[in-house]
Formats: sequence, C-alpha cells, structure tokens
Amino acid sequence: MAIDQLVYAYVADEEAYSDKTVVIEEGSKGEWIYIVLEGQLKVKKRTPNGTVINIFTLKEGDIFGEKLLLEPGKGVRSASIIAEGPVRLGVLDTSQILRDYEMISPQLKGLIKSLILRLEETTEKICSMATKAR
Amino acid sequence: MAANQGKIPPIIRLNYKKGDLIIKQGDYGVSIYKIVKGKVGIFNEGGDREIPLATLGRGEIIGEMTFLNRGTEPRSASVRALEDSELEVWHPSTLIKEYEQMPPIIKYIVNQVIKRLVWMNQLVGKFSAKKEQVIDKGEKKEPGASRRIYYRKNLDQECVYRPVDSSPKVRLGGRIKDISLQGVGLEVGSKNAISFSHKIGDRFYISMVLPSGKKLDFKTKIASVRSDRAPGMLFLGMQLTDISGEHNKTLGFFLRS
Repeated sequence: MAIDQLVYAYVADEEAYSDKTVVIEEGSKGEWIYIVLEGQLKVKKRTPNGTVINIFTLKEGDIFGEKLLLEPGKGVRSASIIAEGPVRLGVLDTSQILRDYEMISPQLKGLIKSLILRLEETTEKICSMATKAR
Repeated sequence: MAANQGKIPPIIRLNYKKGDLIIKQGDYGVSIYKIVKGKVGIFNEGGDREIPLATLGRGEIIGEMTFLNRGTEPRSASVRALEDSELEVWHPSTLIKEYEQMPPIIKYIVNQVIKRLVWMNQLVGKFSAKKEQVIDKGEKKEPGASRRIYYRKNLDQECVYRPVDSSPKVRLGGRIKDISLQGVGLEVGSKNAISFSHKIGDRFYISMVLPSGKKLDFKTKIASVRSDRAPGMLFLGMQLTDISGEHNKTLGFFLRS
C-alpha cells in the first residue's frame, strides 16, 4: 500500500529504527504524530497487574500518536510502540495538523474527541480484562 | 458561515424505556445520538449472546463512529437503554457537509482511529466470550418485549430502481446484497451515477423479487456510498423509508425464515 500523497505532504522528517527499538515508551511525554512508512511495529500496554500485553500491530500507512488531538501540549503516551524488524517512520507536522484540526466546527471536533476517547476507554478495558483472565 | 457556526443540526428528542433497542448492529444509518437523560449500554451481538462493550450516560455521544465512517459500514454495535432514557437525535445533514470539507489529514487520522476501535471492540468480544461461558449458565435472560428476532440477511438478488423524482419509465439495474427491516445494501454500476445523482440523502424506489419468489417494492434513502468494494461499482447503504404493510410483512417473514 502506497502512502497517500495527501498524508505524505505532512511528513516533516523521517526516522529509521532497527528491530526491537522502543520508539515510544508508555507514560513518557511526546508531541509527535507518526506515520509508518515501512515495516511493522507492535503496540504494547501495561496491565494493572504489571504484565505487558500486545494490543495492536501497526503497518505501513498506519498513524500513531493521534491522542494528541485531545489535549495538545499535555500528551502522555498511553502505550509503548516497539519496532518489529527495521522500520522507517514519518514524523508528521504536528502544528500544521493542529491548525487544520482547529478549523473544524465544534460539533465535528466533539465527535472526533468522543471517538478517540472511546478508543482509549476500550483499550483500558481490554487491559483490565486481560488482567482478570490470568 | 459564521452565523451557522456552532449551531447544532436538526434535533429530535426521543424517549426510550428500559430495555428498548436504540441502535441495531448491522443496520445502516448515520444519525448521531446524545444522551440527555438515563443510561445506555453498547454491546456486540455474537449469535444470540450480547457482549457488553461500554455503558454511557448523560452528555455522552453514540453513533459517531458510523457517522465518521460516513455510514459506509453498517452499525458496528447495538445500543440498548439500560434505564428509561431520553436521547437527542441529530440527523447530521449539516455535519456531513462539514465533514466533506474537513482537511484530508484529519479524515485520515479519523479513519485510523475507527479501524483500531473496530479491532479493539472485537478483542473485547473475544475476552467476554471466554468469561461468559462460565457466567451464562446461572443467568437467565429476560425475554424483553423489545427483543428483536429480525436480522440482516445477505443475499444477491437483481432489482430495478429509480430516483423518486424521475419518470416511471426510468429503470436502473442493481443487485441487492443484504436486507433488513431497516434497509438494504445495493450494488450498482458506477455509470448509473452519471445520469442520476447517487448522493447521500437521495431517494429511490426499489423493486425486487425475494429468493422466495415474492415481489417487494419500497422507498429508500441513501445513507452511505462506497466505491472501494468492487471496481466500477458503487455500494449503497440504503435506509428503508416507506413500505406497504403487506410488503413489510413479506419482508419480515423472509427475514425470520
């Protein structure tokens, strides 16, 4: 799958990582939104009892760090992102994305917020279910 | 533009009794609901079991996923009132225009979030299925009056259709891919959209014959359009807006059979 040209236009910088590199650490602060240009990464999350579970695999064209839209400037990473094999990432121009986001009407923004929150909640729910299942 | 900014699109308020089904998984629809009063439960339907995904209360929004997905997929989960509830329904005609004008990067991000959310919901389903095997035996389900026994059925039947404001001589061809009491999935050649508008909200008469040989006529409204299912084809998610009592019975009978 080729990366959409419209999205590619937002790539401000490219970064390459080798296998098993922790690109983002859960709980750390970060203000970037990334797109996967090449390769795969695992999304891992700590459960309440301290174990770590895989929750998602990011592939070419996938974006991560979008939670930033909820409260720019206060971004705490809610999961760890770890390279699975060599990867190439695009760092998106976050300030441009935020400017674009600001242009949207309050209702639409409300819907997007609700959606991102729902994803957060569901992810948390999975973590707690995974804990109980053990 | 400035005058409209911040105004909420047409709103209706609806009341639901405890146990009522508000949204049915598998149906087409783009309405958005905001909870004014009460509590609702979101759940996935797996066979005859309901897998709870979330409980929402006052001020929270439901249906945003299907809307932001532009209604291209049927509702991914069902919603039921957990207590007597009042909901605001926005038919998002204004929001649709705004969505179209949204910067592509934001659309892209939204689609990503939806994709992941669908995945997560499935994971919740898998976890619950394991757990429920244990719980299920002790617990009897209430045979609530609102419990529906109709489902969406997949099929592949030819149909003829035409815009409601066109001459009765117009006959466009398509294939009905799925059907429920709420609507149909209709696949048509993209060329049909050259001579007649096939946009969200456009109304059409549809005439088809069910596999049982019964004829069915009804009126529909496009709730979603997608073009990525098969090359040269459009897939229309259509809401059923008008059907005669007799034909409704035929359809109900077919769906139950």
